[in-house]
Amino acid sequence: MSGNYRKWPMIVFLSILTGPIILMYIYLFVDTVTNTPPGSMVPNEFTLEHWRFLTETIPGRPSIWLATWNTFVFASVTTVIVLVVSSAAGYSLSRLQLPARSFFLGSIMVLHAFPTVTLLIAIFLILQMLGLYNSLSGVILVKISLELPFGIWIMKGFYDTVSWEIEMAGIQDGATRFQVWTKLVLPNVKPAIMALGIFSFLAGWSEFILPLVLAPDNKVQVLSVYLAALIADDNNFDMALFKSVGVFYVLPVIILFIFFQNKLMNIYSGGNKG
Amino acid sequence: MGNSKYLGLYLLAPAGVFVFLFFLAPVILTAVFGFTNMSTATGISGGSYVASQSSMLALRDRYGLDDISEQLTTVRYTIDEEGLAAALEAGADPATVNELGDTFLGQSYETRRDVERAIKTLNARPSSVRAIKAIAGQFERSVANTRYETEDEILGAIAEFGIELTETESAAIIDVTYTGWVFTTQNFKTMFSLPDTKKTMINTLFYVFTTLILFNVGFALVLAISTHYMDSGPAGFFRSVWLLPRITPPVLYVLMWKWLAWDSGFLSVMLEPLGFEPRNWMLDSPTNAWTFIILINGMVGASMGMLIFSSAIKAIPEALFHASEVDGATRRQQIWHIIMPQLRWPILFITSYQTLSLLTSFEYILLATDGGPGGATEVWALTTYLKALSNYGGALQYGYGAALSLVLVVIGITLSLIYLKVFNFKDLTAKPKIE
Amino acid sequence: MRILLDKFTKKFSDLTVIDEMDLEVRDGEMIALLGGSGCGKSTTLFSICGIHKVNGGRILFGDKDVTNVTSQERNVGVVFQSFALYPHLTVENNIGFPLKLRKESKAEIKRKVDEIAEMVHIEPLLQRRPGELSGGQQQRVALARALIRRPDVLLLDEPLANLDATLRLEMRSEIRRIQQETGITAVLVTHDQVEAMSMCDRIAIMDAGKIIQIAKPRDMYENPVSDYVAGFLGSPPIAFLTGQVQDGNFVEPSTGTKMPLSAEIAASQSGRQVKVGIRPEYFQPDGATKIAGTVSFMESQGRETLYNVTLPDGSILRSIQGVHDPVHIGDRVEWGVDSAEMMVFDMNGLRL
Repeated sequence: MSGNYRKWPMIVFLSILTGPIILMYIYLFVDTVTNTPPGSMVPNEFTLEHWRFLTETIPGRPSIWLATWNTFVFASVTTVIVLVVSSAAGYSLSRLQLPARSFFLGSIMVLHAFPTVTLLIAIFLILQMLGLYNSLSGVILVKISLELPFGIWIMKGFYDTVSWEIEMAGIQDGATRFQVWTKLVLPNVKPAIMALGIFSFLAGWSEFILPLVLAPDNKVQVLSVYLAALIADDNNFDMALFKSVGVFYVLPVIILFIFFQNKLMNIYSGGNKG
Repeated sequence: MGNSKYLGLYLLAPAGVFVFLFFLAPVILTAVFGFTNMSTATGISGGSYVASQSSMLALRDRYGLDDISEQLTTVRYTIDEEGLAAALEAGADPATVNELGDTFLGQSYETRRDVERAIKTLNARPSSVRAIKAIAGQFERSVANTRYETEDEILGAIAEFGIELTETESAAIIDVTYTGWVFTTQNFKTMFSLPDTKKTMINTLFYVFTTLILFNVGFALVLAISTHYMDSGPAGFFRSVWLLPRITPPVLYVLMWKWLAWDSGFLSVMLEPLGFEPRNWMLDSPTNAWTFIILINGMVGASMGMLIFSSAIKAIPEALFHASEVDGATRRQQIWHIIMPQLRWPILFITSYQTLSLLTSFEYILLATDGGPGGATEVWALTTYLKALSNYGGALQYGYGAALSLVLVVIGITLSLIYLKVFNFKDLTAKPKIE
Repeated sequence: MRILLDKFTKKFSDLTVIDEMDLEVRDGEMIALLGGSGCGKSTTLFSICGIHKVNGGRILFGDKDVTNVTSQERNVGVVFQSFALYPHLTVENNIGFPLKLRKESKAEIKRKVDEIAEMVHIEPLLQRRPGELSGGQQQRVALARALIRRPDVLLLDEPLANLDATLRLEMRSEIRRIQQETGITAVLVTHDQVEAMSMCDRIAIMDAGKIIQIAKPRDMYENPVSDYVAGFLGSPPIAFLTGQVQDGNFVEPSTGTKMPLSAEIAASQSGRQVKVGIRPEYFQPDGATKIAGTVSFMESQGRETLYNVTLPDGSILRSIQGVHDPVHIGDRVEWGVDSAEMMVFDMNGLRL
């Protein structure tokens, strides 16, 4: 940025602080394919035995593939619906004449800031009453609802940046507002939809508390709950196994992160959760 | 779609349905449930009426109706259709049962002996005493320990039993025998009287503000400013690495910390040569537990501040930096006089949003220490979860949990509304330009 | 097609922006709505095309009342300031978009697009995207898109504001050429008097939501109805002096210079304060009524030079002259006003 100050002190300083994180991640990957003698941190043999959970089901647990499928369904269905619903609602709030518009805008903003985990108990009871407890569809509905204020907010922000004149031109060319939205505006916020999609998918993939509370059953278990249950089981403490399941679980996240890093940085700084 | 007057509402409607069902309704229901004694014992739908042992105890203690409780628990014998059917079911001779019904239906007896005597008078009486006793047993009747679905049913049964009740007595019985949940303010009285509440509150405040000041704002500033003074290569690298904790799923992220801290993990192995006993460093002492909790949460939280502060710094015109350098500013002066003034609003923004999110998040604490050791790291949101939704504690106290959440919900709504005011809501409500 | 605004009124919330405006644009005419920012010219344009709803009065296209007709059904072509081309569509699809919405056949659309592309000279660009075009090319595409469905009316909202100086000159004549070739009725919204004067048949000058004067460019320049109009037209602008009418003359107070007035004005305004406007071309070294001042500013415009001459009381006269013997800033000069060309206004700014 500037040639007048030395850069290396900053780099050394941050490297020291960043060290532990890098160390944890390196050992995360190394430990899944090696064995390390007790009392040492240096691996002494290569092995794939920690990955046997891919072929043999761990006693008392569902198959890892079932859990993976459940996680995939959970994350992708959530993503698709969040995208569709929030791109419609975001457009409405950003551009259309609406009765009580500022009320809606205000509510979305309040909901966006509002901490959703506090509603867990009520949601748990609602799902029980609706008979949706312990089902993927129930927890998907809840995740969508809790994700929507954020999605709508982000989409509204992106629509706000589309030029009004594009829309006016569309109307003059004879398009209805609906056609203006689908044919002219949506193609111009494609990158935003992409970013929100990746974000939602990652959020769904990582979600832990909701499935833990609302759908803990083996049949509908997602990977986060699967891994947490594995770790919590005192009878089978096997750190290398946990890490291998963890790496298996986190791989899609890492891949998406590497490819879409810049997009995600944008959306994370627009968000507030965490 | 020619008329787009209502298009806005149509497009908003699906979101409205979702948000109403699982967002607004829960807010309202949290308030409602907070004023009930709902738990696994009461169930979540309506209950029934049972004169159980405990409810009879309550009838004596709370209402002083000792004699009524006595009468309700008294056993009688009544020859009724139900008993006849049960006797047949149990394998009694149909001839005996039929004759018993024809002769004595509707008769009531004080003791089992009376019933047996009656059975013995029948032509088709069973030959063995055991069979007579078995049939007689089917007619044992008592209001106690029978499940009645409605108020009328239990009162009817009592009346049939020949016990006369005044209105107050009836009300007392309904009150003590009801097994479902009822509305009560008991949760809040409990909350204010328990010493744990105060401790949890102190824990929560300590956790929120320490994490916020040290990491979410403090360390985030360090990251943003130090990467600002780097070339884009290393700056991008550091920013990516610091985003990792945030994108790593919480379960795995906390697992990595556990590996660092457990008794044959990284810290134990590294510190053993220095004379420290291997141990679980995270749960070793409250101080250690807090250190880990704050590190775990802080490293996740720092990334958001880092991104927002970085983009705010990027928005400062480069000429300003050049000018100050020409004027001879040191790096420290540049940070203080050029960067920091630009970060005032972003810092306020991060502080307010993260306060709310830290106040209510418990995911990482649940996974890392579960409130331990010995409740030392239990924060409000975690207590709520443990009381109402975690099966380890036995019965799930939904009502009490909801009351605890309600406190957070109220704080959440209040703070959100304040932020709405502070962060210029007006700017967001510019009118649509197409009419 | 004729456009008629009849007592047209526009409000935003409680604020009345335009109050009972009447305006007629004749068939095939190009008219300019000229005024500073906030004068209501864009609001008028957006109301003609239907983006703004009308709060009172009527808008007629030909004899058809379109006041409550939606934009989509009004058959108006608009060229926006930013051109508003659809970034994700090629030039060909941008131009063909209005026809596609009308579900015309592909072959038909292609034929019409080629035809109009030829007229606005963009045939080689049809497969490009807007991001790959220069400003002038984008402008031509925007025109083509506005014209392709043969609109009744063409509206141009500051169409030249986003172009650089040379392109502006080129597009000025191009737009006029295309408008004349198609014979379409057009309304141009601009804040630039040069654009308005060079492109349009008539100018409607607006201020604070009202049309102050509507006239042919030359007429308006020579016969402005108020000092506002006089000040708006002409570059460099007209200069004003305030003084009293005495004995058939306008007396400049700081120098006492007497400038003869027409008998009529002299008679009616005798003894009153008035304002006179003197255009730079009528304040010259050889002018009849000499007035003395100090050269306070000089700007060479190449062929000509602009001078500001400050009078003792600080008021300024402007002069534009061909190159001649050097005059320097600070020099005292005595140049003459052609008092026959002087415009006289009362203290409210109305032309006398």
